[in-house]
Amino acid sequence: MALAPERPKIYEGSRIPQHVPTILRVPDELRDSEDVLEINFGPNHPSTHGVLRLVIELHGEHVVGLRAVIGYLHTGFEKNMEHKTWWKAITYSPRIDYLSFQNNELVFVLAAEKLLELEVPRKATWMRMCLAELNRIHSHLVWLATAALELGAISMFWYCFRERDSILDLFEMVTGTRMHTRYYQVGGLAEDIPPGFYPEARKFCSWMPKAVDDYEALVDQNAIWLERTKGIGLLSAEDAVALGQTGPVLRGSGVDWDLRKAEPYLAYDQVEFDVPVYGNGDVWDRYKVHMDEMRESTRIVAQCLDRLEEMEGEPWIADDRKVVLPPREELHTSMESLIHHFKIVTEGYRVPEGEVYVAVESARGELGCYVVSDGGPKPWRVKFRAPSFVALEATATCMSDALVADLIAIVGSLDTVMGEVDR
Amino acid sequence: MALKKRLADHGLQSERVLWQGKGPGVFEQELGDLEQRLMLTTVDKAVAWAQSSSVWPDTFGLACCAIEMMSIVSARYDVARFGAEVFRSSPRQADLLIVSGRVAHKMAAPLRQIYDQMLEPKWVIAMGACASSGGMFNNYTVLQGVDKITPVDIHVPGCPPRPEALVEGIVRLQEKIKAGVPPAYEIRGVAS
Amino acid sequence: MREALGETTLVVDPPRLVEACTHLRDQEGFSMLVDITPTDYLGWGERGPAGYIGTSSGRDLNAPGSQGYARTPQPKPKRFSMNYHLLAVPGARRVRVQVWLEDGQPVDSVVQIWATADWHEREAWDMMGIPIEGHPNLARILMEDDWEGHPLRKDYPLGGEPVRFSGDE
Repeated sequence: MALAPERPKIYEGSRIPQHVPTILRVPDELRDSEDVLEINFGPNHPSTHGVLRLVIELHGEHVVGLRAVIGYLHTGFEKNMEHKTWWKAITYSPRIDYLSFQNNELVFVLAAEKLLELEVPRKATWMRMCLAELNRIHSHLVWLATAALELGAISMFWYCFRERDSILDLFEMVTGTRMHTRYYQVGGLAEDIPPGFYPEARKFCSWMPKAVDDYEALVDQNAIWLERTKGIGLLSAEDAVALGQTGPVLRGSGVDWDLRKAEPYLAYDQVEFDVPVYGNGDVWDRYKVHMDEMRESTRIVAQCLDRLEEMEGEPWIADDRKVVLPPREELHTSMESLIHHFKIVTEGYRVPEGEVYVAVESARGELGCYVVSDGGPKPWRVKFRAPSFVALEATATCMSDALVADLIAIVGSLDTVMGEVDR
Repeated sequence: MALKKRLADHGLQSERVLWQGKGPGVFEQELGDLEQRLMLTTVDKAVAWAQSSSVWPDTFGLACCAIEMMSIVSARYDVARFGAEVFRSSPRQADLLIVSGRVAHKMAAPLRQIYDQMLEPKWVIAMGACASSGGMFNNYTVLQGVDKITPVDIHVPGCPPRPEALVEGIVRLQEKIKAGVPPAYEIRGVAS
Repeated sequence: MREALGETTLVVDPPRLVEACTHLRDQEGFSMLVDITPTDYLGWGERGPAGYIGTSSGRDLNAPGSQGYARTPQPKPKRFSMNYHLLAVPGARRVRVQVWLEDGQPVDSVVQIWATADWHEREAWDMMGIPIEGHPNLARILMEDDWEGHPLRKDYPLGGEPVRFSGDE
């Protein structure tokens, strides 16, 4: 499914605004005229991306000036995580990108494990991969539901949320809760995989491709959808790389870059899947990337289920008692286990000194976590590199010569989650 | 307080009312002469029934709770059967503000502006732990509970609350309205 | 230049940052700036609560409170570090460029090299108070425009309110 390596030229040169890369400035000849209207695409607006404020200047229907104001959801995650032990800090991470929540936990836990140089049992690795892909499908479903809703294809919302509820049922079965499943621990998983999971997940995997066919049947041939997405929001490959884009935005611009293939983490080098890359750099291509990624993720989940069923009975968390809680049965008989349990719960396990940057391919792109540890029970510095933060920087470039209606399509296609942007 | 009918007979199902042994709390002190106020005439009852059966929420999704709020509109937890047929984007057309998600101090001003733009009678549901009390974020930037800036009728706990929990919150709100409990801005001391 | 845990860190002097980054982008092919992370090391290595850290030479059975195998961490040269994470997109290579700064010492902007640095540098200014020279639009990005202080610094309090319990009233 990947295109040929040479990238077609989407437009000549670079469209990144010269003065400030993220602000589209009104051209001088229009600035003094009376025809430019500055309005607030305020923090509360119906396109449900969360609290993004765009100050746009309109000349008729053309958007001639654009400035994004963010920070309306700034939650101080990083500062809060510095004050909690490593165990408790994991709880904060899924709320950052609240659509692909397990990816945030995953990247934080991977960073801590890298600093600890801890080996994770393969059952945990494969289950993490399975859940990460289910999460990717979940995130793309919500993206598709809301992006289509904004463009007017309202019934897509109900179709997508039907599948989304199936995925959340799977999460609930495994982890006990629908969203913000705090299922990953440093060392593996929190609990073993319940036995009913595999048949249910297989049912989902066999149903999902038909559901994606349904979605494509709804909009792929629809003249309004095509008109509103083809040729809109162009972003060339060079501009995308200069703007630091990753994920579907980058792959929609023709750059074949996916962390799962390029720098495989977990067990991605042992599963077969393709990476969709489309070359035109418009909203339509990003939409196609999302749709194909849903299909590929279903493939990965099916392969993970096959491998996981072979690993029935294996440990799901590492054995290192300095970091991982001992099994509860041991607490009755072994004094050392009791002491370890006590120290881990009260003081927290210590992660050796160092700094590390780990990146995973979340549904939006490269989600990175930079962790500095001072050898103590609390992280010293945690920084999440949010792909949506960077995607919003590309708004001004994509908006060169666009109408107000296109603005909605473009911001929707950049797939931003404000929790990530503002952290 | 001489009661002609028990509060539960007026349709109120909250624990505070049903749990007879619970001591007087903030709710009872605030309501004071609620029982006197609940003398609804037939017209009042009809109006209350109409208001409660068509509470239209405002699209005020902030963070993770917004995703679960969106899912109550979906087919499985269909909230349209409870009267919340459409989510209005304009606060001037909405009755109910479901604050779903953490409120940063930067967002507090727009939130209050949206609340002010709504027309009476209006109700507020603080959905989730972050809107009710600041949630797990007790820090420099998160407002510790939206009831610091707007009067809140119903708090729905959870992080995020299940869609069924939010629907229960809406149903309890409908019971409150039908029973004649005035909206929160008439009870609390917060300027409306 | 340091290699640890499979990652390469290049420590660069602040005046030579732009030169180094230009070289890395053009000659070495690091075409994407992935992240800019400022870190505040105020209070690094000081003794925490009782029994927190061992002595700098490791665990000493004769010194009370020096539990576990922890040691005081290696001291850092200056208070702030700015870390630029770079990525070579076709070649899948990563490098971290690290610059050490004192409080208030400015660093040059790399916006001309990678356009994405715009918002990252604004966030570094907003959250940590690291002044960026040559940035076209250095304004607060996450906090309100008139906010005082830089929240992610170690001497900035976490804030929030004390939790009130109903039994206390």
